[in-house]
Amino acid sequence: MKRKELLGRLIGEVTNFLLDGNPLRLVVSLHQEEDGAHLTFFDDKKRSEEELNRINKALHPKYERPELAEYYGLMAGHDVTWDSRLELIGWQIKHADVDNSDSGLRIDLWLGSDAFNPEKFTIGKE
Amino acid sequence: MEQSERILYALLIVLISSLMLTAMILEGPLTVLKNTLHLQTQAARLISDFTLHGVGTAMFNAATVGLLAMVLIFHASVSLSGPAVSAILTMMGFSFFGNTLLNSIPLIGGVWLASKLARKTFGSYSLIALFSTALGPLVTYLMFSIGLPLPLSVPLGIIAGLAAGFILPAVAGSMLQLHQGYNLYNVGFSCGFIGLFASNLLIAAGKMEPLTIKWSEEFSLPLFLLIPLFSVMLIVTALFIEKPKQGFQGFLEVQKLSGRLPYDFFDTGYTAGTFLNIGLLGLVFWGYLVIIGAPINGPTIGALFTIIAFGGFGKTLKNTYPVALGVVLSTLLFGKSLVAPGPLLATLFATTLAPITGQFGFFAGLLAGFLHLVMVEATASWHGGLVLYNNGFAGGLTASLFVAILQWYKTNRPEEDFTQ
Repeated sequence: MKRKELLGRLIGEVTNFLLDGNPLRLVVSLHQEEDGAHLTFFDDKKRSEEELNRINKALHPKYERPELAEYYGLMAGHDVTWDSRLELIGWQIKHADVDNSDSGLRIDLWLGSDAFNPEKFTIGKE
Repeated sequence: MEQSERILYALLIVLISSLMLTAMILEGPLTVLKNTLHLQTQAARLISDFTLHGVGTAMFNAATVGLLAMVLIFHASVSLSGPAVSAILTMMGFSFFGNTLLNSIPLIGGVWLASKLARKTFGSYSLIALFSTALGPLVTYLMFSIGLPLPLSVPLGIIAGLAAGFILPAVAGSMLQLHQGYNLYNVGFSCGFIGLFASNLLIAAGKMEPLTIKWSEEFSLPLFLLIPLFSVMLIVTALFIEKPKQGFQGFLEVQKLSGRLPYDFFDTGYTAGTFLNIGLLGLVFWGYLVIIGAPINGPTIGALFTIIAFGGFGKTLKNTYPVALGVVLSTLLFGKSLVAPGPLLATLFATTLAPITGQFGFFAGLLAGFLHLVMVEATASWHGGLVLYNNGFAGGLTASLFVAILQWYKTNRPEEDFTQ
């Protein structure tokens, strides 16, 4: 999948998820480099530990699922009418961090080529 | 490799070996091999019951196709879980009435070529590759039924298979957006779409023969016992890997899942519950056939295999019975017979629409099933029987209609508008 389409799908699915909570503020930040990208999402709704665990679980599949990522991953971010499904993007990213920030939920996603190492990214974890 | 994956490999190997062994016992090794070779030359358009060539032959054919699918999944480094099992068992089921090694390989090859062009691993397209075999009859019909000399028709069939497989990933991705995962047999929907063009090209060339139904009514004990034995094996496996109470709780949790694509039930952690779900699905739908006095032949075994196949990837007892009931009601209302090939297969294969029940409730499922029968009886002639997953095609149309209407309703609900 080309970079633009992939980013569009990921942004679409995560914003669909965040908009389900009807936030008053939502920020999406993108930083791209040659071999990867970092997406950050903030809203103003803090989540319970249970909710954070559920989001974390969806974004961290136990195993790589290439058969699901390439094919069913095409549904990610396509349609905001239906319930969001973070699992669809969990298969397509390199790494994710989920936590409550000062104001609300913060989700960080890293994606890129196989050579991409999120640890060395210029905008990394704080 | 996870415990559930090891168990699934073991179960598949037992199933494939048992089919091969039973075939040899029933017909003798030489006859089975000879008949299986002969089976490769059948056009195999809908509905061609392979058990008419011998129950052992059909079983051996299913085993060889299942073995091919399992080896491909293993070598593609794809985990054997709900999705992969759904593809392998569906292929095996359809090998009782349409799939052979000969008509499967060119299509899989076409998908492999597409993966190379898109610079993806074959594993990424593995599910599409296995399900692409729905177009198997296109390959064998061109090879053996259009009246061309074999040196011309065999390459033509191979090229057509490669071409159809090559475009399938593109079509399957687009079709998925139409119904948003509410039709479990999405590749069937996509193959039906391709089949429309293939069939009309053949009609334009004056090479399309009318459809015929080859349907066995003969009783065969090995065939009759195949599904209950396999289902019981799955249930025993569930009871073996977890305590019965724990397994049953897992089973109840699985019943709460919508089943909308892509939902791998093995990922939920309820391994025993998923095995119980699969086993019980097999037993319940087999029991239904026995109660209404339907024949247990190649196509019905294929349909039961497909229900079992998706028992870990979208189908539960709870989300399947309303759609099946909808088909039964539609059958009775329109004065058709419950045991006639069309309505009978529609009752079993309509479970492709199970996620509609899972997401929108009992009545939505019932209505989807009701409409499904009307559609599925027409669609086979649209693609000239060249697509084995005819119910997947019809199911895709029904699901797309439902999704379009519900989407329109949801996007126009006034209560969530901004205040004017």
